[in-house]
Amino acid sequence: MVLEAASEGVRLDLKFVDYLMLIIYFVTVLAIGVIARRSIRTSMDFFLSGRSMPAWITGLAFVSANLGAIEILGMAANGAEIGMATMHYYFIGAVPAMVFLGLVMMPFYYGSKVRSVPEFMLRRLGKAAHLVNSIAFSVSNVLIAGINLYAMAIVVEAMLGWSQWTAIIVSAVFVLVYITLGGLSSAIYNEVMQFFVIVAGLVPLTVVGLHRVGGWNGLKTALMETDGVSRLHLSAWQGTSIGDVTNPIGANWLAIVLGLGFVLSFGYWTTNFTEVQRAFSAKNMSAARRTPLIGAFPKLLIPFVIVIPGMIAAATIGNQFADGTLTYNDAIPKLIQMYLPSGVLGVAVTGLMASFMAGMAANVSSFNTVFTYDIWQEYIKPNMPDDYYLKAGRVVSITGVVIGIFTAYLASQFGNIMTYIQTLFSFFNAPLFGVFILGLLWKRMTPAAGLWGYIAGIIAPTIVWIAYLKNPSLFATGTAETLYGAIISFVTVMVVSVAVSLFTKPKSDEELQGLVYGVGTIDVKSDHVAGDTAWYRSPALLGTVALALCVGFYLPIV
Amino acid sequence: MKNDNAVHTSYAPLTEQEKARLVRSTRRTDIRNIIGALFLVYGILVTATGLLDPAADRALTGGIAINLWTGISMLIASALFFVWAKFAPVPAEDILTSVENIDEKRAEGEGAL
Repeated sequence: MVLEAASEGVRLDLKFVDYLMLIIYFVTVLAIGVIARRSIRTSMDFFLSGRSMPAWITGLAFVSANLGAIEILGMAANGAEIGMATMHYYFIGAVPAMVFLGLVMMPFYYGSKVRSVPEFMLRRLGKAAHLVNSIAFSVSNVLIAGINLYAMAIVVEAMLGWSQWTAIIVSAVFVLVYITLGGLSSAIYNEVMQFFVIVAGLVPLTVVGLHRVGGWNGLKTALMETDGVSRLHLSAWQGTSIGDVTNPIGANWLAIVLGLGFVLSFGYWTTNFTEVQRAFSAKNMSAARRTPLIGAFPKLLIPFVIVIPGMIAAATIGNQFADGTLTYNDAIPKLIQMYLPSGVLGVAVTGLMASFMAGMAANVSSFNTVFTYDIWQEYIKPNMPDDYYLKAGRVVSITGVVIGIFTAYLASQFGNIMTYIQTLFSFFNAPLFGVFILGLLWKRMTPAAGLWGYIAGIIAPTIVWIAYLKNPSLFATGTAETLYGAIISFVTVMVVSVAVSLFTKPKSDEELQGLVYGVGTIDVKSDHVAGDTAWYRSPALLGTVALALCVGFYLPIV
Repeated sequence: MKNDNAVHTSYAPLTEQEKARLVRSTRRTDIRNIIGALFLVYGILVTATGLLDPAADRALTGGIAINLWTGISMLIASALFFVWAKFAPVPAEDILTSVENIDEKRAEGEGAL
């Protein structure tokens, strides 16, 4: 029963009603751009929504900015390939970092009124580290937008039969129009809308999928009968003892906790401006702190409609993954094809298209902010009136999308090189977190230490990675290499930064007011508005509940 | 470039009537109303598809009328979004502040804060 209805390819049979829903969505996206355009009068409105957003919107956008279609398809693929261990990316690999961002780091970020993460680097550690950080962020973000654009085109070509160029141009033009019109507000509103549409598409898919495999127990039984799947697929932590690693990630629990749960996750969620920007747009300190805390709850629930479908795919069409008819990335498109009739089909396809666009828009809207404020205003054209930077922001957005299209073209020509570039960019966040956490906790850390620690922290994992490419027996899997590479990067930052600090001159206490733990005080309640003091809006409470759920959700899948 | 800045430096304070109009139009285009409207249209389309061809609705799913379930759920979600926007509207002071603190935002955008 389980292996039926598996046919070649993932082409979907969209009817008129499905296309109608897709068209309605595209029109709504543009309408949001036009509406958001009305409230843009200053560059701060364009880049940071004028710091006016309520916490529930920024919280959902915080999660949604990360919920690009590449992420959805990729995590479902992981679910099919390694099973429950994929939950680590949503639980330990996200929630502790989000809670830390909300409770510990946000008072420094939001309280210092910086407009971007690199600008915090500028205040705390000076121009050299800031320039490296700003350029690294800008370049990586605009190239990643292009690589994602190409990845999207491949999927859309397979599912809908559009040519790759049609897919690239259509999504790029829509993103271009709504970002240029409405800036970050456009991006955030669309992310919130995308979140609900993708949920409306994935929940029915999961329900039908579970029904077809005979419920949760049927899924377990079916998985056990699938080639290449073992009991380890049903648990997140088994086979991770030190010295006896048999789990599909190929790393022990300590490497998972420190590499994924600490360095990689904290690096991504607390220093990646594409994420943190959503919190910067919140209307006050309370809302900014609650942004990642509110985001933690949907983050904990999303894997149930992404990873579980991946596992259902492994159980039902595992033979096609094994013989190469399908790749693991086809898991969700294939299930949509097998299980969803016209109608819900339109919702699911719209959700995927929406998340493709939202992912790219998130990259563009953070790129334009860093490029305009941190590079153009800081180093090239300072002291211009605000209107100038607003116009510059729009021009930079257009340029970013055009470079993205060009990158997509390069990716289509040199696929492998692009994967390498992508891996290289993944080395940027871990050292940044190392530099920030040391700079936040230790006022003796010097600007020179920030620069050299950061650079050494990028070089170290690059060397490890090249060694792994030359000699793949160094690590069990590519994922394991990433975990150890992140830990090595972090340790390098600590060692180099501390050593350099001891020989160079620190900033004075006056310059570090509100930027370092224990130097000056930050009043997190000064801008409270009515309702912020309600008990259920307490950051400490929200953070505690999120962490408790994170632990609780692991219990059934230990 | 510098000169046309002078044109914008001060906005005339809004009259009570303008304030009321701004609050009304901002609330009407609240994102919750937009999502509510989108889900209303989708809910109708999906439910109608399920009603018009009940056999197709169940054929792929192993007996679940998935369009009906999803469509009706989306209609309920739509109603919840409208109710939420209606009974917890964006505070008027939030809407007005973002217009009235323009000089402050402009200074921050110029990197002067």
